[in-house]
Amino acid sequence: MTLLLKAESITKRYGAVVALSDGGLELEQGEIHALLGANGCGKSTLCKIIAGTVAKNSGTLSILGRAVEIGGPREAEALGVALFYQELSLVPQLSVADNIFLGREQRSGAGFLDARALRRDTEQLIARFAEVAGAGFSADALVSDLSPDQRQIVEILKVLARKPRIIIFDEATAALDRNQVALFFAILRELKAEGVSSIFITHRMDEVFEITDRITVMRNGATVARFVTAETDRQAVVHAMVGDVTALAERPAARPRSDKPARLVLESVGNKRVQQVSLSLRPGEIVGLGGLQGQGQSSLLQGLFGAAPFTSGTIRLDGEQVRISRPSHAIGKGIAYVSGDRGRDAAFHGRSIFENIAAASFSKERPAMVWPGRLRERFTKAAATLSTKYAGLSAPIGSLSGGNQQKIFIARWLATQPSVLLLDDPTKGIDLGAKADFFALARRLADEGAAILFYSSEDAELLSLCDRILVFNSGAVAGELEGEALTAYNLTNAAYGRAA
Amino acid sequence: MTPARTNPAMAALRNRVWLVTLSALIALFVINWILQPNLVTPNVLKSNLTVFLPVVLVAIGQSYVILGGDIDLSVGSIVALVNVVTVSVIAALGGGVPAIFAGIGAGILTGVACGLVNGLLIAGLRFQAIVTTFATGIIFGGLALRILPTAGLPVPAEYWRTYGGAVLGLPVVLWVLILALVIIAIIARRPFIKHLSAVGGLRQAAFQSGLPVARIRILAYVLAGLFAAFASLCLTGETASGDPLMGRLLALSSISAVVLGGAALAGGSGSAFGAVLGALVLGMIGNVIFFARFPFEYQTLIQGLITLLALAGGVLVARR
Repeated sequence: MTLLLKAESITKRYGAVVALSDGGLELEQGEIHALLGANGCGKSTLCKIIAGTVAKNSGTLSILGRAVEIGGPREAEALGVALFYQELSLVPQLSVADNIFLGREQRSGAGFLDARALRRDTEQLIARFAEVAGAGFSADALVSDLSPDQRQIVEILKVLARKPRIIIFDEATAALDRNQVALFFAILRELKAEGVSSIFITHRMDEVFEITDRITVMRNGATVARFVTAETDRQAVVHAMVGDVTALAERPAARPRSDKPARLVLESVGNKRVQQVSLSLRPGEIVGLGGLQGQGQSSLLQGLFGAAPFTSGTIRLDGEQVRISRPSHAIGKGIAYVSGDRGRDAAFHGRSIFENIAAASFSKERPAMVWPGRLRERFTKAAATLSTKYAGLSAPIGSLSGGNQQKIFIARWLATQPSVLLLDDPTKGIDLGAKADFFALARRLADEGAAILFYSSEDAELLSLCDRILVFNSGAVAGELEGEALTAYNLTNAAYGRAA
Repeated sequence: MTPARTNPAMAALRNRVWLVTLSALIALFVINWILQPNLVTPNVLKSNLTVFLPVVLVAIGQSYVILGGDIDLSVGSIVALVNVVTVSVIAALGGGVPAIFAGIGAGILTGVACGLVNGLLIAGLRFQAIVTTFATGIIFGGLALRILPTAGLPVPAEYWRTYGGAVLGLPVVLWVLILALVIIAIIARRPFIKHLSAVGGLRQAAFQSGLPVARIRILAYVLAGLFAAFASLCLTGETASGDPLMGRLLALSSISAVVLGGAALAGGSGSAFGAVLGALVLGMIGNVIFFARFPFEYQTLIQGLITLLALAGGVLVARR
């Protein structure tokens, strides 16, 4: 094995915040290398430094033993480094083909765009994903018309089109469903056989053990452990990641079904992506929405919140029929919605943490005057329940890591003291410790009388937190699991329509 | 919000909003023809084109800036500055044919320099586009007044006679339009236009893809300055003299034209060809108002309402 890339003692500070204190990574030729760690541990920063989008403060980078200075994405590319972005790097207004070859368009002799070559090369790339790409996925499709998983595929194709030596996959599988992941892994193995090295960042431990050769673990801005995947196990890796083990909260013993009248009843509701969903939710209950990704779980929550209003069916809150056609209706009725897609649904970029927390409280309470002092206290408390790390409420939201940002958006809704909490894959991209805090908090809110609908793309989260799980398939409820039936096997089985 | 599936007809339309503009242009042309039966005669068409051409040219330049997600409010002042530089250089060099070429060259360089200043301030120093070009517009206008405090200084007859004349049987104004269309067709086939769309569509994505974002934005401003210079040279041929207050309304007309041509003001979509159509639509609206014997004062009002309508239409088409 030859050492392809070596990063040593890399440091990076953003103002007073130290993102990296001692980042290190050794990547061999033709290996798939997992880079793991809780959010905010610095793995994304380290990758961005390797890919040239962030400048390091100190430390050395070398490729094939030769020290290199990477001054920008172009220089990284020239060295054969390509980064797959966790926050998508696609231009919505451009077509799939234009995005894939953006900046490296095929040219004819005189430097004009070669539309035919562009289309041919794009179609060749798409062919690799043909069986899972889904409807409407073509070279000419506009990226703005694609679903999130299709965009993720475009992002992968964009990286592959550069034929790099080192590919950094930062959460490349986050938006993909099981079949797409399987295919992605097949491609990753092909690349490996061709001698391409991959750095693979994921929050799914199963994937790490399925695909990677070695593992580097980071914690609090430093590289703390290196493993050979075949010679270690999950516990050891998780232990290195979290330091002191903070496992997910165990599922509480099956609790007697509360006999309180239902807080929320849906009767045959539907919108563009869900049909005929009925459910009833009691105070104190946490009901999970399971199934493969994109089967209508988010749409149900968005319908209930008025972001994608239901076009049929009825909603009853505490026995009374209500109409929710925009989020302010829902907020006024004590419904809170935490989205996993914080960049799109939650963040006020460039604004302070205070303003980002305050948004929901203002919508709900519609205060005539605002007394920041009083709110500050309340918000500090809300943020503290999730052990959020931040410099101060007046710091911009962008100064936080993704995971800490998400905690701020959860705090935003906690500050409104909701009676119905809609959680739309809320733990996407937050670390294990924060997840455990979050689950404990959700359980406490339920115990205090809140009714919670919880969608997660991770089955383990649903199984550990929910009293009941409704399993979705193609926009409808395919099954309901409760009590003894709450097992991973049943969940997967139901997600695949039971017959599988 | 989950992206909903778009109606295919709407999706097809979204990237071809200029088709709507073209339909509007044809409809206006027919109405104009009914109101003014001698419209389709060479002389009337030529005089119409002479009137519309400056807006068309400025709008082409503006469309590149807007495609890149920026805006240029200074193009009107660039037109004035180019005009006074051109007439002053021609006058200073004695007014012969070589002096005319020197004047045109100086004018074009002035336009490019103005665009470069805007681009460096905005993309280089990261100033905000709308405020910066508002300010540079005042500065360019002030420079124009400094160079030529009052209107006057006629250009030699060779200049305006040539501009008003014909070459190979076609009027020069038409040749200018054809040349402009050829330039935009060339630009539309270059990778630059994709890069500019990317920069205007999602700047972060363009940067992460390794595009030289600042250089691309600066180039868009230089193009805006260049086309403003072309417009100014045409206006100079039409008025045959210097005027430091020339073209004051062109910035806003050009933005209207770009919007009418189907561009999103937020950047990332639209085309220079659409802007040409938009500029012609604006001009035809003026004609129709005139020949329908509406009071002239209504022209600006109606152009404003139609621009608003076009913005509303753009939002409807883009909405998902």
